[in-house]
Amino acid sequence: MQTIEVLKQALSSLDPTQQQQLLVAGSAVAVGGLLTCYYWVYQGTKAKRIPIGDGWWGAGEKPQSEDEKVFPFQVQTSDEEIQDLYDRIDRTRYTELLEDAGFQYGFNSTYLKKVVSHWRHQFNWKKQIAILNKYPQFKTNIEGLDVHFIHVRPPHREGQRVLPLMLVHGWPGSVYEFYRILPLLTDSLDSLAFEVICPSIPGYGFSEAPRKQGFNSLAAARVFHKLMERLGFSEYYLQGGDWGSLITTNMAQMKPECVKGLHLNMLTSKLRGFGVLFSILIGRYVPWLVGFTREDVRRLFGSVGFMERNIYEIIRETGYLHIQGTKPDSAGCGLNDSPVGLAAYILEKFSTWTDFNNRDLEDGGLERKFTLDDLLTNIMIYWTTGSIVSSMRFYKENLKTNIDNRLDNNTGVYVPTGLAAFPNELMHVPQSWARDRFRNIYSYSYMPRGGHFAAFEEPQLLADDLLQFVKKVEKL
Amino acid sequence: MNHWSPFRHNCGRGQNCHCILWNNEPAAESTMFTEVLLALVVGGVIYFLVQKSKRHQLKSEDGWWGEGTPPDREEDVSIRPYTVRTDKEELEDLYRRIDQTRSFPSLEDSQFTYGFNSQYLQNVVSYWRHDFDWRRQVEKLNKYPHYKTNIEGIDVHYVHVRPKNLPEGVTAVPLLMVHGWPGSFYEFYRMIPLLTQPSNPDDIVFEVVCPSIPGYCFSEAPHKKGFDSVCAARVFHKLMKRLGFQQFYAHGGDWGWIITTNMAQLEPKIIKGLHLNFAPPSKPGLPMVLSIMLGRHFPKMFGFNEHDIQRIYPVVQNLVVESVKESGYMHIQATKPDTVGRGLNDSPVGLAAYILEKFSTWTDHDFRNLDDGGLTRKFSLDDLLTNVMIYWTSGCIISSMRFYKENFSKGLDQPHSKMPVHVPTGFACFPNELMHTPKLWVQQKYCKLKTFTPMARGGHFAAMEEPELMAQDIQNFTKMQEKRMK
Repeated sequence: MQTIEVLKQALSSLDPTQQQQLLVAGSAVAVGGLLTCYYWVYQGTKAKRIPIGDGWWGAGEKPQSEDEKVFPFQVQTSDEEIQDLYDRIDRTRYTELLEDAGFQYGFNSTYLKKVVSHWRHQFNWKKQIAILNKYPQFKTNIEGLDVHFIHVRPPHREGQRVLPLMLVHGWPGSVYEFYRILPLLTDSLDSLAFEVICPSIPGYGFSEAPRKQGFNSLAAARVFHKLMERLGFSEYYLQGGDWGSLITTNMAQMKPECVKGLHLNMLTSKLRGFGVLFSILIGRYVPWLVGFTREDVRRLFGSVGFMERNIYEIIRETGYLHIQGTKPDSAGCGLNDSPVGLAAYILEKFSTWTDFNNRDLEDGGLERKFTLDDLLTNIMIYWTTGSIVSSMRFYKENLKTNIDNRLDNNTGVYVPTGLAAFPNELMHVPQSWARDRFRNIYSYSYMPRGGHFAAFEEPQLLADDLLQFVKKVEKL
Repeated sequence: MNHWSPFRHNCGRGQNCHCILWNNEPAAESTMFTEVLLALVVGGVIYFLVQKSKRHQLKSEDGWWGEGTPPDREEDVSIRPYTVRTDKEELEDLYRRIDQTRSFPSLEDSQFTYGFNSQYLQNVVSYWRHDFDWRRQVEKLNKYPHYKTNIEGIDVHYVHVRPKNLPEGVTAVPLLMVHGWPGSFYEFYRMIPLLTQPSNPDDIVFEVVCPSIPGYCFSEAPHKKGFDSVCAARVFHKLMKRLGFQQFYAHGGDWGWIITTNMAQLEPKIIKGLHLNFAPPSKPGLPMVLSIMLGRHFPKMFGFNEHDIQRIYPVVQNLVVESVKESGYMHIQATKPDTVGRGLNDSPVGLAAYILEKFSTWTDHDFRNLDDGGLTRKFSLDDLLTNVMIYWTSGCIISSMRFYKENFSKGLDQPHSKMPVHVPTGFACFPNELMHTPKLWVQQKYCKLKTFTPMARGGHFAAMEEPELMAQDIQNFTKMQEKRMK
């Protein structure tokens, strides 16, 4: 009571101007204080993880007990399989090409015939299978699905620390994308090496396809956590691009205690929110104000402007996403019958997503970064397993509900994160945008070259970045 | 000196002339300024009115779509009869491919929501393999005369049906009917007899021409980039001229809608009347936007009936979400036609699944939730498979898809999409059409909308699904037009 009296007296002793100033200052402090409280409260209640859930994806009803055995697996082929492929290739019905179209209308027919000729006469599937089988592979049944994976243990080296790492592929890739990076991670002379698990996403390659609807990235994340648990790992690193990026991110959100570090080579941005839009508007002129580096400006705006570089390109390149996200069975049906059709559909991505400029080339620049043998091996995995339709369904499962409203899209990622930004990736996401979701970024690297299929195209660069990120996390 | 006065001078034209005279009287500064301003304003208004009334006509340059460079010789304008043919090899190849289909099971309980259901696909394929008689269907196709003629370097195919036994003194009214994707001239086969041999003696007798869009069915595909709807319109004008028609009516749905609309915009005097069953607005004008915002509460103000309300609201669900759900094919065909079509040209079953999915979903959205996609509720398998066989035997799936890219790659802001249509138009509004357009929206582009008929039933492939209803509406529209002309 007395204090109030004292205060009242002190206040009344001030003249009007001073009273006004005091009022203004007081209000500012009050407002500032309220905002800070709100921020704390808001941050505090924002979820730091997403629920794990459960699922069953096999045919029919779930049985009482689950089979937890891990079986060794080998890729095999037969003369019938190869002959059937050749018969179909020989019976391909080509269409007249459109003059001067390059790769603008999709895979160019003239170059397609060259690729197919190599496939028919030079490509040796049996030799490629031997290459595939050089790493030990296994299958195990999780949530009703046979999940295929590669498990590579590094050879024992004195003084070398070994850490567990899972690499997750995307579409239209497969575990084979990692075959060039695997030796760099498992067989190096560095102080640090990795014990690597590369699973196939259910519905892709040698992993069984779900029979029930709803198998999205959250389900895949959970299945992969169960896989690591079954193999005896309690803590591990994750690396992913394309769908692998979303799946590993979900894994970090589901069980952050298990994920020591998350490394991604592809990000997406919601392209919404005042901060992002504001930075798009003025970022080109005052990059420092919105947290853009010069490199960010170069990659976002290029020489053609934001709309052209990002929005129009995205519209031009996402037709496949739209149809696979709505009618995967219709889109994939014909591709499962026609090896040449399948090759054209998939290889078009390996051309365009490696460098947009490849669209103007007659040969799509395909062999500049990849060998035909490597590309066709990836195709053969889709062909021999007949998994194109189920691989496309993954798009619908993830996109059929508004992905923006999904819980994981509104939950942050708090595990140590490393981001590798490749210059020819489909969309560039600057660190200032990535921070919105990834709250614990340990490293953000501008890679000097490379596109969407980074592990396949620039394995050394990716391996180096992954290593430096892990060392930061391990404080080495 | 006289003050300026428009009504008291001697130009000889009397009191109603608009002469503005400068006289020698020194007027006040402000008055002079007002006069100049008034002159500018009046002049501006006159200019604006004159500009507006000048009808913008769509312009189009000649083209060449054949291989290489156009030859020096004269254009070949001959008209060659054409017969649809098949042979043993074609059928054996088809059957072999069908037998070697590698099918993939659909997800449990997914019906047609993920695309064509694998279980029902097997039923269709089994019928195709063992019961469908292509030879008989080919005979059916050939019951109307087919022709080919070379225009702008490519062979254009068409069906030309002249009515038989015309009564004395009656001339047939020429009618051009243009199909869309993934349809063909075959969609019109059930309508043709109703138009060329109407049972009612009061009905108009039509002479019907059904061309195949270049790149579709038996028309040659363009070898050069850039063949869009305006080019197709120009080619079809040349076709009708070559056949000797000075004026004719045009009907279209799907791509046929935009091609016939372009024809009306290119040569409005030649198109006596335009009949459409599909007319999505190319750009939302103010009346359309207002009607969406307020139409639910003030339907009478915008001329909305109950069906309009049902189809439009809730807006986001019906106009946005449904469009996104169903336009994946359009997106990929408008960007990578060669990629998406490649496998379909090798796999007859893949082609059938891709095409027939549209015949299911675009006939009624609710069919997506049926195990058999409701396919045979409105169509016979024979008719559906005949359409698929036309795409299969001609190998035209890729070129048919390229048409999407040619039309959309330049953006949605093409000159023709901004231009209104001044030709008398009749619109048949089918309840299950893909994009519902109430009368107000159609009127935005079609300034001379003479008939707007809410149809009792039918979806996107109306000509094939409800040929009687469609033929009736064409009759009504044409009768009205012909009376007017008399």
